[in-house]
Amino acid sequence: MIETLVVVVPALPVACGLLTRVARTPSAADHVNVVGALATASAALTLAALALAKSATPTQGTWYVVDGASGLFLAVIGVVGLLSALVSPAYLAGAGRGFFRAARARAWYYLGFHLFWATLLALPLVDNLGVAWLLVEASTGASALLVAYSGRRAAIDAGWNYLVLTTFGLTIAFAGILVLFVGLAPHGGSLATLDWQQIAAHAGELPAEGALLAFVLIVGGLAAKIGWAPVHNWLPDAHSEAPPPVSALLSAALLPTVMLVAWRVLATLGPALRDGVANAIFIAFGLASLAIAVPFLWRPLAWKRLLAYSSLEHMGVLALGIGFATPLATAGVVLHLAGHALAKALGFYAAMALLRNQPDAAAHPPAGVAHASPGTAAAMGISLGSLGGLPPSPLFFSELLVLLGGIAAGHLVVTAIAAALLGLGFLGLAQALIEGLLGGERQRAWRRGRAVRMTERLAAALGAGLIALSACAYLLPGSTAVRMLMAGVS
Amino acid sequence: MSEAAIWLLVACACGVIVVRRRRVAVALLAAQSMLLGAFAIVDAAGESSALLVGGVILAGKAIVLPAVLAVVVTRTREAQPIASERHPLARLTLALAIALAVVTLMPRFGLTDARAEHAAVGLMALGIATAVVRRPAIFQALGFLVAENGLYLAALSAPGGLPAVIELGLVFDLVVVTCVAGAFGTKIHEELGSGDTSLLGGARD
Repeated sequence: MIETLVVVVPALPVACGLLTRVARTPSAADHVNVVGALATASAALTLAALALAKSATPTQGTWYVVDGASGLFLAVIGVVGLLSALVSPAYLAGAGRGFFRAARARAWYYLGFHLFWATLLALPLVDNLGVAWLLVEASTGASALLVAYSGRRAAIDAGWNYLVLTTFGLTIAFAGILVLFVGLAPHGGSLATLDWQQIAAHAGELPAEGALLAFVLIVGGLAAKIGWAPVHNWLPDAHSEAPPPVSALLSAALLPTVMLVAWRVLATLGPALRDGVANAIFIAFGLASLAIAVPFLWRPLAWKRLLAYSSLEHMGVLALGIGFATPLATAGVVLHLAGHALAKALGFYAAMALLRNQPDAAAHPPAGVAHASPGTAAAMGISLGSLGGLPPSPLFFSELLVLLGGIAAGHLVVTAIAAALLGLGFLGLAQALIEGLLGGERQRAWRRGRAVRMTERLAAALGAGLIALSACAYLLPGSTAVRMLMAGVS
Repeated sequence: MSEAAIWLLVACACGVIVVRRRRVAVALLAAQSMLLGAFAIVDAAGESSALLVGGVILAGKAIVLPAVLAVVVTRTREAQPIASERHPLARLTLALAIALAVVTLMPRFGLTDARAEHAAVGLMALGIATAVVRRPAIFQALGFLVAENGLYLAALSAPGGLPAVIELGLVFDLVVVTCVAGAFGTKIHEELGSGDTSLLGGARD
């Protein structure tokens, strides 16, 4: 069954994307999208459940691996992809002029969206660094057009910058893969040479200088796609200009999924480097991302731009947790990954109702939302409160676990700096939240249209999901679940 | 690969940095890709599967990609030179300085032919430098393809070469990314009446 699902999971969204191209009416395309998304998510979540249940004995095929890490990431990508697909018709219904001709715009959107989702779903499953790189590169093509979908000048700029910066970053990563391949050539020189297990088995025989060069190029290149500072320049523009359902997929699924590739590189090639060097590189990216993101969280930014800088902050937290590499930190990473995905996706979905009723919020901070639409305000509050780490948000517990993991790893100074930055980030987000919900002049109540009703339902569902994750926080540290979940990358 | 061929590859990359006409730059990229493809086919002589892979890559990189870019050039006529472009000599000096620094700093990574290794790293650096020093969208896409040709040169010089799946997948990705870059180039021109990306100037913090 696993073997079949491994093929079906990425194939379904590809088929769905192609089917939307032949749909004759916009509503037919919407129906194909919804049905396809439900089928894809069902298959992905089934595979994720099987992967997690059998994580003690990962299933391996000629090109794929289904382990605990694949299961966790598949679940996150499946859920965020499904929600983004379900809210897309509401976004498209209100979308104005765009990058594509009006008659075919919807079909192009769905094709790009489902191809993007397919590459993301395939990424955690591939067992080979070279193939993983090809998928990351392919994801850029589909998602760049989605970023520019609105056709506004700023969106075209954001999409172009995203395309150029990430493709150059991936070119550098490929140079690293080439260096690694040349170093490992005596052990086969075939595609299998770049299998994760093969890299782990032979990395120790690489010359130290070659291993370091390969590692720095691969992780440094991938960092441009993950959005780690200081190579994050595309991220704030792309996240704020993309359609909200795409922003959610970019932030909650793309960034962490590319990070999984970097994590697997750390786990397989890292031991060939001098002790602690590979982890130190991750910690450096993590601290840099936090340090650059936090000052922006204090600035009066437009809602989606604020969420974009919050993504930079949270990718930093994940990098720190991976770099600390202790069981506590790993538990924190698992919880953070899931919590960030739900909270960030909710924030971007809430932007649909916000921008429809307060168009100024595309370029300016929102104001007075609590008076105008309590439901939308609740969604924004749950999202930003969770992202800020306000208890009982799962991100509060995950950040605590990461910091405790840092102390356990002996990185006291780094942990202290990270704790201070997280505290400042929390205060910045809290101030933005209060201003956004309660500040400004009292506004007329928004009409409870489709976008607002949908946001209210999502706030209830994702809020419950976040509480459930918080409950898991008590169970995760030191549990066999985390060890098994992360068996693929630790 | 002979020294003359390697210098020719580097000269093509330098040409992309210097020339004003986009059509000439696309032709230079096509010539560079053709030279690399011919080298791959000569290297694969006698092995049918390697010949097939080499042929597909040659067709993709030397024919399809330049054709896509040529279509974009035809659709987006530039009425006048891009005002924000630096002087060609300044562009070349800056790009060569970047490339020389990278070639000097980059440690050897194990290719048997040291000249090919230096040239591969140099082409990558020149490609990245092209995107930095040139403003028109089409030249930034060309910079990416020059950098990819640098990687391809390194792959050709690697013992046994890269696996066919990776090489073919790479060409497929290149075609996709170039088509997307072409769509952006056309849209940018529609929006601004010019391919000058510096005029886009989106929101910045």
